[in-house]
Amino acid sequence: MRDLLRILSRFWRASLAAELEYRVNFVFSTLNAALGLVLGLFALSLFFQNGHAFDGWSFDASLVVYGLFTTFSGISSVLFVPNLSRVVEHVDKGTMDFVLLKPVDSQLFVSTRNFSPWGLPDIALGLGVIGYAARRLDVDPGHVPAALLAALLSLIILYSLWFALASTSIWFVKVYNATEVLRGLLDAGRLPIAAYPAGYRVFFTYVVPVAFLTSVPADVLRGADATSWLAIEVVVAVLAFGLSRAFWRLSLRSYTSASS
Amino acid sequence: MTFLRRARAFLEVYYAYMLVYRSELLLWALAMSLPFISMGAWIKAADTGAFPLAPVEFGRYFLVVYLVRQLTVVWVVWEFEYDIVQGRLSPRLLQPADPVWHYVGGHVAERAARLPFTVVIVAFFFMLYPEAWFVPSWTETVACLALSLLAWVLRFVLQYAFAMAAFWTEKASSIEGLWQIGFLFLSGVVAPLAVFPEAVREVVLYTPFPYLIDVPVRALLGAPITLRDVLIPGAWLLVALVAQRLAWRAGLARYSSMGA
Amino acid sequence: MIVEADGLCKTFRVADKAPGFAATVRHLVRRRTKDVHAVRDVSFALEAGEVVGFLGENGAGKTTTLKMLTGLVKPSAGRATVVGHTPFARRRDFLSAITLVMGNKQQLVWDLPAGDSFRIHAAVYRLDDRDVQRRVTELSEMLDITDKLTTPVRKLSLGERMKLELVASLLHQPKVLFLDEPTLGLDVNAQQTIRAFIRDYNAQHGATVLLTSHYMADITALTERVVVLHQGGLVYDGSLSSLVSSFVTTRQVVIKLRTPVDGADLAGLGAVDFHGPAELKLRVERDALQPTLAQILERLPVVDLTVTAPPVEDTIGHILKTGQSSKRVDA
Repeated sequence: MRDLLRILSRFWRASLAAELEYRVNFVFSTLNAALGLVLGLFALSLFFQNGHAFDGWSFDASLVVYGLFTTFSGISSVLFVPNLSRVVEHVDKGTMDFVLLKPVDSQLFVSTRNFSPWGLPDIALGLGVIGYAARRLDVDPGHVPAALLAALLSLIILYSLWFALASTSIWFVKVYNATEVLRGLLDAGRLPIAAYPAGYRVFFTYVVPVAFLTSVPADVLRGADATSWLAIEVVVAVLAFGLSRAFWRLSLRSYTSASS
Repeated sequence: MTFLRRARAFLEVYYAYMLVYRSELLLWALAMSLPFISMGAWIKAADTGAFPLAPVEFGRYFLVVYLVRQLTVVWVVWEFEYDIVQGRLSPRLLQPADPVWHYVGGHVAERAARLPFTVVIVAFFFMLYPEAWFVPSWTETVACLALSLLAWVLRFVLQYAFAMAAFWTEKASSIEGLWQIGFLFLSGVVAPLAVFPEAVREVVLYTPFPYLIDVPVRALLGAPITLRDVLIPGAWLLVALVAQRLAWRAGLARYSSMGA
Repeated sequence: MIVEADGLCKTFRVADKAPGFAATVRHLVRRRTKDVHAVRDVSFALEAGEVVGFLGENGAGKTTTLKMLTGLVKPSAGRATVVGHTPFARRRDFLSAITLVMGNKQQLVWDLPAGDSFRIHAAVYRLDDRDVQRRVTELSEMLDITDKLTTPVRKLSLGERMKLELVASLLHQPKVLFLDEPTLGLDVNAQQTIRAFIRDYNAQHGATVLLTSHYMADITALTERVVVLHQGGLVYDGSLSSLVSSFVTTRQVVIKLRTPVDGADLAGLGAVDFHGPAELKLRVERDALQPTLAQILERLPVVDLTVTAPPVEDTIGHILKTGQSSKRVDA
């Protein structure tokens, strides 16, 4: 455990130092996050014209979903995406060899090696939106611990999705495009799952578990009856993590038998 | 004649190149799933709320959004930035053809390689949602294709102009990222301009965004084309062309003084 | 034996596509593949502390063999044992005991000074920071690179980067060093420094070194023994000097002439490599040297005459290209 902390702190400090070489990025990422939030909320408000609302979700409740979505996007850009693109680079340039020669679990290595601070504005804004909406909804503070648990499980699912994708770079090399597929599908998480027709809901619950990412934690937070969903989310998270690991093993086997 | 021969060689090589990465093209075709996500939410909303479009009209609208996006995808800023960072621009500057033709060739060839996937996805759509089936007239088809071509050229030139920033900063794509947010929310990808509040729509119609998606889409769905639908994007195209040429000249001067 | 390869084989399946539009379309419909036998039945063993040169043309299978020995590639057949482990199991003990340096690939963080990369290595290999500091100082002094430790890697020259890559690769005191073209693309000075470093490091730490290089100078300066691959198969394993001497059955005779001679005068004096007005270069079979020299002195207006063996580079180059040597050596 102490070794792990030492590794992580070294990894992240080095990444941070490297990223700070490009300080202009801070301006861009902040502008990006702010503009994205403003326009995103505008797009959300379009659904609430002429007295329309999603089934069981007021505008304020939908704001919680949107805030979670923004926060998770931020976390993705801080941890998941930078590591994923590094995996792609490793495969492309052949430096994956060095990773495999390290006496550290290779999945741990490639999924924690990099850290990019440029998603932090998204995280801050997302948390702000959640806080604002929670105040307007008069959320019972007793729901917060369960909601945090749900959000943590969401992160595990999200990580597993990103990582499974990173593993495919070993077959597809230019996997940047696959990240766009995932990003595109995750976009469904901007709206509560109730906003979609029945077929969509099935797809986004059982095929790509977007429903668990934002709608379940939001439901738990606002005190809607979501105990059974939370229980299912535990199962989904464990399953997703296990699969991401199996997938990585599989792709490594293919890497080590095919590369030259 | 030599131009045609050169163009053919370019296209053949780039077509072969694109086919090598065909699994990625499939992913790209899937990555553009956002219109289908928006479609689900809007069909459901139109079922219960009062919106200017009927559910089936939303279905058609977003399908055509998908098609127009497939036709007008541009990524030149990424490629140009990469070429500068990797020093691949220098050898191209030695060739007796403007480097832009490499990018144009890649974009055109990619369109051809992508087409089969698009057809499959459209067929799939009508299988799932047969009520949305419609056959546009010849004039509508021609109008849509012409406006899509204009949209594609405008997007390419605009993005190429942004790409020139790569001469000065290593993060040209971040600048373009800001533009991309405007494109995402204001072009009609997440919601048709028809559901925008009147005042917002009037302002947005002076930006280039709606002419990249919403206007060509509506042309195929039978909306009348006005002079404004050509003049405003035409004016933007002119601005982008001039800006690109000026930036190219200044950028090259800087590039060569830095020792290429 | 610290490194053992026993009948190693590796077969790859690769796509097979002809150039041109029609072939592209055909390839789209049906992918044709072919098997490439990158390494076939290679066996050799290294003793602890040995420095061995690993020779072969591009594509002879050197890198694939190195990757099988480091556990990056799983052998299709055969067995490898390195420091008592099967490499492909990639056990922590094994990984901590070896290192692989590749001249064409970098692992230092591009935007940061090498010192930061060293700190990451220390954490990954669970090394004590003070030990690492000591080792960095020692190694960078040996490589004459102490003043570059605080410069961002992207601002260093290729040679400086390579030296720091070596430092990074040796922080955990590996017992076996696999060096794949460590001097690739470097200038002569940097090559010499690295060469001297490898020799000193081997002498001081008793590390085993398996080295590939395109530069014969690296091989002749560092290794007594060479292993030669040709088209995936092992064709020679033995001392460098006997490889050269057993192969070289000719001598080069360089003659300075007082007056130009006619081509007809050279009949029966061996192969003519060079024929100028004042100089001649002849290649003569070793066994026929005595009588031929007598003939030359008798028939030609000789001012000066020297007999040498052909340069080592030429000989080795010839062996690598043809793969001919085993017959002569085994005989």
